[in-house]
Amino acid sequence: MTNTIQILSIEKTGKESSLQKEHNNKSIKIIDGYFFSTNLDDQKFNKISKLISNYVSQTILTKKNVKKVLSSYSNFNWVVEIKFLPGVTDNIATTVKEIIKDNLKSSFKSFELGSTKIILIKGRKEDITKISKNEANPLIQTIKIYPFKQYLNNFKKNQFKIEKVKLPKKKYSKKEINLDISDHQLSLIGKLGIEENDKSRRGTLGLDLESLKVIRNYFSTIKRKPTDVEIETLAQTWSEHCKHKIFSAKIDDIQEGIFKKYIKGATEKIIQLRKDNFCVSLFTDNAGGIEFNKDWIICHKVETHNTPSALDPFGGAITGIVGVNRDCLGFGKGAKPIANTYAYYLADPNKKYQLYRQKNNKDPMLSANFIAKGIISGVRVGGNCSGIPTPQGNVYFDDRFAGKPLVFCGTVGIIPKKIKGKLSHKKKANPGDIIVMAGGRVGKDGIHGATFSSEELDPNSPVSAVQIGDPITQKKMSDVIIRELRDENLYSSITDNGAGGLSSSIGEMAKESGGFIVNLEKVPLKYNGLYPWEIWVSESQERMTLAVPPANVKKVIKRFNARGVEATIIGKFIKKDKAIVKYNKTEILNLDMEFLHEGYPKLNLKTSFPKFKKEKKKIIKKCSLIDKLHKLLSSPNIVSKEFIATQYDHEVQATSIIKPLQGEGRVFGNTTAIKPLFDDEKSIALSQAAYPQYAETNPYDMAGCSIDTAYKNLIVSGANSKKIAILDNFCWCSSDEPDRLYQLKEAAKACYDYAVAYQTPFISGKDSMFNDFKGFDKTGKSVKISIPPTLLISSIGVVDKISHLTKMTPDDGDILLVLGNTRNELQDSVYSKIVGYEKSKNPVVNSNDALCTYRNFEKANKLGIINSAIGIDLGGIGIAVTKMAIASKKGLTIDLKLKNKISVDQFLFSETPSRILVSMKKNKLANFKKIFKGSDYTIIGKCTGSDVVEFKDNKKIIRSKISDFAKSYKQNIKGL
Amino acid sequence: MNVLVLSGYGINCENETLHAFEVVGFEGKIVHINDLIQNPKQLNNYQVFAIPGGFSYGDDTGSGNAMAKKILTNLYDQLIDFSLKDKLIIGICNGCQILINLGLVPSLNKKDPEVAMIENKSGSYECRWVDVKVNNNKSPWLKNISILNLPVAHQEGQFMIPINLLKSIKANNLIGLQYINNHKKLAKGQFPFNPNGSKDDIAALTNQNGNVLAMMPHPERAFYHYHVPNWQNNSSKKFGDGYKIFMNAKKFFA
Repeated sequence: MTNTIQILSIEKTGKESSLQKEHNNKSIKIIDGYFFSTNLDDQKFNKISKLISNYVSQTILTKKNVKKVLSSYSNFNWVVEIKFLPGVTDNIATTVKEIIKDNLKSSFKSFELGSTKIILIKGRKEDITKISKNEANPLIQTIKIYPFKQYLNNFKKNQFKIEKVKLPKKKYSKKEINLDISDHQLSLIGKLGIEENDKSRRGTLGLDLESLKVIRNYFSTIKRKPTDVEIETLAQTWSEHCKHKIFSAKIDDIQEGIFKKYIKGATEKIIQLRKDNFCVSLFTDNAGGIEFNKDWIICHKVETHNTPSALDPFGGAITGIVGVNRDCLGFGKGAKPIANTYAYYLADPNKKYQLYRQKNNKDPMLSANFIAKGIISGVRVGGNCSGIPTPQGNVYFDDRFAGKPLVFCGTVGIIPKKIKGKLSHKKKANPGDIIVMAGGRVGKDGIHGATFSSEELDPNSPVSAVQIGDPITQKKMSDVIIRELRDENLYSSITDNGAGGLSSSIGEMAKESGGFIVNLEKVPLKYNGLYPWEIWVSESQERMTLAVPPANVKKVIKRFNARGVEATIIGKFIKKDKAIVKYNKTEILNLDMEFLHEGYPKLNLKTSFPKFKKEKKKIIKKCSLIDKLHKLLSSPNIVSKEFIATQYDHEVQATSIIKPLQGEGRVFGNTTAIKPLFDDEKSIALSQAAYPQYAETNPYDMAGCSIDTAYKNLIVSGANSKKIAILDNFCWCSSDEPDRLYQLKEAAKACYDYAVAYQTPFISGKDSMFNDFKGFDKTGKSVKISIPPTLLISSIGVVDKISHLTKMTPDDGDILLVLGNTRNELQDSVYSKIVGYEKSKNPVVNSNDALCTYRNFEKANKLGIINSAIGIDLGGIGIAVTKMAIASKKGLTIDLKLKNKISVDQFLFSETPSRILVSMKKNKLANFKKIFKGSDYTIIGKCTGSDVVEFKDNKKIIRSKISDFAKSYKQNIKGL
Repeated sequence: MNVLVLSGYGINCENETLHAFEVVGFEGKIVHINDLIQNPKQLNNYQVFAIPGGFSYGDDTGSGNAMAKKILTNLYDQLIDFSLKDKLIIGICNGCQILINLGLVPSLNKKDPEVAMIENKSGSYECRWVDVKVNNNKSPWLKNISILNLPVAHQEGQFMIPINLLKSIKANNLIGLQYINNHKKLAKGQFPFNPNGSKDDIAALTNQNGNVLAMMPHPERAFYHYHVPNWQNNSSKKFGDGYKIFMNAKKFFA
């Protein structure tokens, strides 16, 4: 009899190799362990072992052989056992259970099991401790370190243990909360949560005193006390995360708030000017939708998952990506996800920041490289397992992200315009429709996620806010919805369960019908013992809420079940404007819908002009032009991100047409394209841009540059300028401080100005306003680290013909030209950071000049005049030229005889926006000149086809081999 | 000519796989594994059984294992039967891993899986284009093909084969595809030409009849010319190399 199955790979696994290399120790072995809640007899043990292992490549450890087998690898002396904490999603255990149940059928019914990673080493205790720190996160996993002897003993005596969630059996009785208390007591409820009978607090509600007073008034008007569920629900619904109070607040003299005036305002203005059908569904749904062709709509949404990723990078990132996939599933009647995007803003993974959430070196922040690696793999697993290509992304490093990483995850979806003759982007839960919850079960995951992600990261940030995604459960659910339910019109409305869980999804959908009645005891749970309020606000992943007409309910549930997906009736939508929640027939929530959604106190914000921190002049380091190019190419923000592109499946769905790595020399492009339909040659081009490094100097110009670059990249790729839409993701810091709000207002104003100038509508957006870390450094000094204000603009556009898609590789004999004017704009540039700068300005977008360049480029490209093109971005012309050479493996000659009063370095490294580097055949030049008459361009050289890049000055020629540049460009990022 | 393309539990390349078969002239259907288990007799209506790529069961307990065990428990005899007829089976990527775990390939002793798919030597997921050469021309899937340029995308693509078995695999000529380098010579394990460190640069195996092909690269993702990296430099052709595999299936029944 035994209660564990432990499996060893006979040969060294890739994971073992990398661990051995990382820790410089050849004696490291990893065991996949499964701990069972019951003892297995020999027959069951043998049968199950065979089911979950491969006898060619693996060995099963038994009491008899364990010592002998392991001693053949090394004299191990330390062991670390890593298990998930009770209640944390354990995907492998779920699969194993399913295999066992399917195969052993009824003969083995009730058991629990947990998966474990056991690492054995020969070394010192410090070594195993170090490994455990890199391999496990104490927030979601238990880490047990013990001597190898004890491990053998555990084996002998069946002492491996599985921990189950043991919540005290509690009988729920309706809990009423007294709000007639002092302001101090009231604000404690907001800050620390509702007080339990044992005086403990549930965790932050994120409600300020004013909101609590509004709630108190409401209940005194209706003459009763609120229940705990009502207060929890209001906290979720009114959270910054859900209501975007700062964007909707009156700010200075802007009554309607910056969202209505600048973001939505820009789109409304554009729609008014354009008079076409390009914009289909904006701002109201889970994602924004635009027209793709006459039969299809595409939608796009980009989310942030910053706080969860700071606490559990892998879990935060994977839930980020599968979460935003659900936003597409919840667009209209359900769009099929067809591409993922990502953007990470991280601290230097090679640096040790040593930050602590509490004094005396307690509660440390995870290390920068643990965070970076975890985030990169989280999106890998989420995207790859879901079968959604992840072609488009970028990574940016800056020390100011040490307190909080920014993780942007986006998804593009596609949906037919009409389903059974009805417009697919319109949905409406009708009174009488049944509320069906489909997908995963509900646990304590992510309780208070919505409220805490709106707050700064401090010692009271709750750990139960962490969730782990299960992409396979979601994939199964998604397949049923898109393939088997949607096209038959079996439901009237659908939305995802994200922040705020059921309270949010049902609350939002009920706006369509009027109100709702939910019976919480019907909700399937992962384990018993959850309080009703926990069920109501839990953010357990992989769930969609559907409004199903009563006649279709049986069919819908049957189809889900046939595919191994759980679906449950949990209530119904009603006409009356009432939000009603019951638990075992006791009414525990009864609110007016109007109060639930609009009752929150509106903020009244004031801004003040901040003292911009000017970058200090740095003396230019003396080094050659070639050295400068090498330094820039190998700097983390320019160096190739190939290692991410190759681990993210960008080929699945067979749609990839412009890939992340471009040219024979594999340069990491800033734009990618997919061709989503087999029978239409139209493609979707995707790009994104953000310039946090420009933010403190001038937030208006920073936002201008983001919009300009995101837009320009699509123009360069060949997209139709009339079919480009953009998305805004503001990640700000300290948004309760007037100078930060000033920067916000400035950036939003630029959003209006440039979007309207380019006539590119905002279709969706999301903000995250408090990306600050408050804690302590290693000396115990209190520190606050704020991210630089970051506005990510994601762009999505339609390329009408395959022949319009451009490449970045010139051919022998091509002439090289820079389109657009180059100014001395080196301030905050990569060059200035690495080499230094004297007197310079920050990059500014001139939209008239830019548009002139873009329109002419589009025209020339359609006429086949452009042979290759690349958007000039970080590192300026110098980097664009070398990237072209690396990509094509073809030599270039650049002429540095400069017309304008500009130095060689200013010309080569200035980050003036709106410029494009292009190449064309000599015989196209005459036609090109006709088109570009009156707009700025410079002929800068030609493609020689040799193996060097040459820069010709008046006096001398400087050159370097392309292969040397490629080496610099493809260096590993230290710490990753 | 009818093809059944399997789906469910995280398989995710069924649409593009079916499309490729349809373009060359097959009629086909995507069938969920649970529906097939409910009604295995429907297999009689098909000449080709395709297990597409994906992440069945999230690769938990080893890529392809859990789905293979589901088939083993519920459909094994029917599938063996199918493989013994004049019909074709293809497993691509995760489908390859499933066929290997089922032992349908190389199927020399017919009882248990003889080969294992293990993690890439690099320890990471590899999504990249590779060149492979056809080693075994007797398989209907691979007839008259010499070299293919195809993408791989996997975490566990390394074929692990006991030495004795490898000998008989070679003796029986069951290696389907092998990774080659930029000089069209065997990659000899060199990364990135051999993306996973597979012994003898093996990228695909067949059974003895050659009618069952388990391949790690994705032909359906190299179907049209615009799938191929840097296609703009060479856009005269309509199809990519993957097309040839599907055409061969058509020719087999023509």
